[in-house]
Amino acid sequence: MTEIKVVVPNKLGIHARPAALIVRAAVEFVSDVWVESPADKVNAKSIMGVMTLAASGGTEIVVSADGSDEAEAVEVVAEVIRSGFGEEMI
Amino acid sequence: MFFKGVPASHGIAIGSAFLLKVEELRHAKRLLESSEQAELEVKRFQVAISSVRHDLENIADTMEDVVEGRQILEFLLLLLQDPTIKRDVESRILGGLVNAEYAVSTAIRGVMDKFEVMADPYIRERVADVRDVGRRVIEKLTGTEKDVLDKLQEPVVLVAKDLDPSETAGLKPGQILAFVTDMGGRTSHTTILARALGIPAVVGLQKITTEINPRDVLIVDGIHGHVIVNPTEDELRYYAGVKKKFQKAEKLLQKMNQEPAVTEDGVRIELAANIELPYEVELVNKLGADGIGLFRTEFLRLIQENGENEEDHFTIYDTVASRMKPKPVIIRTYDMGGDKFRTGLNSAPEANPFLGYRAVRIGLDRPQEFSIQLRAILRASVHGNIRLMFPMVTHVEQLRRLRDLLEKVKDELRADEIAFDNDMQVGIMVETPATVIALDLMLPYADFVSIGTNDLTQYSLAVDRGNPRVADLYDSFHPAVLRQIDTVVRLCHSQGKWVGVCGSMAGNPLAVPLLIGFGVDELSVAPSLIPDVKKMIGVVTTYAAREMAEKSLVTETGLGVRALVHSYVIGKYPEILLDENDWKTGG
Repeated sequence: MTEIKVVVPNKLGIHARPAALIVRAAVEFVSDVWVESPADKVNAKSIMGVMTLAASGGTEIVVSADGSDEAEAVEVVAEVIRSGFGEEMI
Repeated sequence: MFFKGVPASHGIAIGSAFLLKVEELRHAKRLLESSEQAELEVKRFQVAISSVRHDLENIADTMEDVVEGRQILEFLLLLLQDPTIKRDVESRILGGLVNAEYAVSTAIRGVMDKFEVMADPYIRERVADVRDVGRRVIEKLTGTEKDVLDKLQEPVVLVAKDLDPSETAGLKPGQILAFVTDMGGRTSHTTILARALGIPAVVGLQKITTEINPRDVLIVDGIHGHVIVNPTEDELRYYAGVKKKFQKAEKLLQKMNQEPAVTEDGVRIELAANIELPYEVELVNKLGADGIGLFRTEFLRLIQENGENEEDHFTIYDTVASRMKPKPVIIRTYDMGGDKFRTGLNSAPEANPFLGYRAVRIGLDRPQEFSIQLRAILRASVHGNIRLMFPMVTHVEQLRRLRDLLEKVKDELRADEIAFDNDMQVGIMVETPATVIALDLMLPYADFVSIGTNDLTQYSLAVDRGNPRVADLYDSFHPAVLRQIDTVVRLCHSQGKWVGVCGSMAGNPLAVPLLIGFGVDELSVAPSLIPDVKKMIGVVTTYAAREMAEKSLVTETGLGVRALVHSYVIGKYPEILLDENDWKTGG
């Protein structure tokens, strides 16, 4: 089990398009991957899960993974979030 | 009948209504007898998913050029393959021993409920996407896929409670003129797709599906969100006009590019825009123009109800100059009189207004008022690349007095310690034969000239083009006009001054090669003509242009000159013939 804390850096937070980017990154790994906000913990490979997280800009998120490629999975998904999804930052 | 909804996708459409029924997303529960049956049901569900996946990928393929469309389809594919939803459906089948259709519909219902209570309206609108995917899977399971739209005999306006995104993505713009729906908002995937596909749409109309009958004639105004049911003759005529205008603007937007105007042999031609109102600057920038070759200021007279106000002038010049920076903006001082804005300044009727009290003749007569405009232009000159241009200068002493007045205003600004660009270029319009013939005496007082071909043609040929009985004599390709242009360019270049053309001749594709051939330094045209003129410049070599220009000077008639240019460009720019009426007459 590996985990990293990141902050959602873009203004609009994790809406549909960013959620899709997170899911697309997570499904590349065999490990189970989760994203967790102060309110909820969801499967990072589930678009519905990530969207219902509705994490707004500035929210602290914990990315965690469990499996053979967990370290890389956590790093890649965290990086997607850190990048701000190519949107306007806070 | 008139409805107002949310304008979702711009455009105007007129056509007959086609009502589309939306299936409810409910499905009867059927209990299975064994867990083996349930296993088979799960298999069936998985097959349905991969089949829907195949369909969505096919739709995505058709949207190769529509970025937003592809993104939305990719989103639907992620929803379709969502492991949480999948697992939910499968455990409903296996645990509850129920049929796949029922399991999917209840699972989807659950997800939709979850989305509907989300605080973020943007996420709430994704409910439509969830339902879309669910509907497709159920249709696969029951073998009731919709294909009514494929069977349409003629283009229609689609009327529906709501349209699913993937359904919208499958619409063919040629077949669906527009759509109107009861539900929907501006950021739903359905409306984003409508915009991407260029299908006009009005959504959020509440109950329009219950008010419209099949084959009703509808006008859909996607710009304002209006829907008119069974319109009157007048309404039809009006909207047909609006539609045409809109299509013209759309065509222009498609042709937009920021590339500079370059001749076929690689010579850069300065192509600028004529504008009248400040908001046009945005369009001009998008079109990649090299500057504003003529900023008409007469409208300022109209917006200043309480007389001349320096701040009103300044704000507008400042806005235009700073938005165009560093590209040049040529501000033409008031050109009132003649046929423009007769109100206020000269109320006395004149027998020959074009030979009367107009332009700088008024300005010099009222230096006090005129100084207000000059002062505002000078003040704005530090915020961009402003050039000043005086219209209708026919006498050298006028030009000397104008320059004196300008110096006086500069002195006042210096005294008030207000900044201005002391090196601001000052030019004159060349629009009368007098100015052409005596230009050598004028040039010491001007940094540049711009030829106004409309007035130059009218004054040279003594033709009022507003008079239909003589309008056919009006021809900017007349040898007298062409020779004057040639004279002006030669003289200016010998004195190191540059020459522009801002009359409508510069925007006439057939005149463009001649003007380049004469050596004109800058063409300034209406923004809407920039794409065509740019294209024209691109198919002409400077060598051929010079040759045509030389020949044109010894061609007897305007018609002969046009035929000369026409025969050269027809092979290189065949589309130009589509607008035959525009260029048959001299601009």
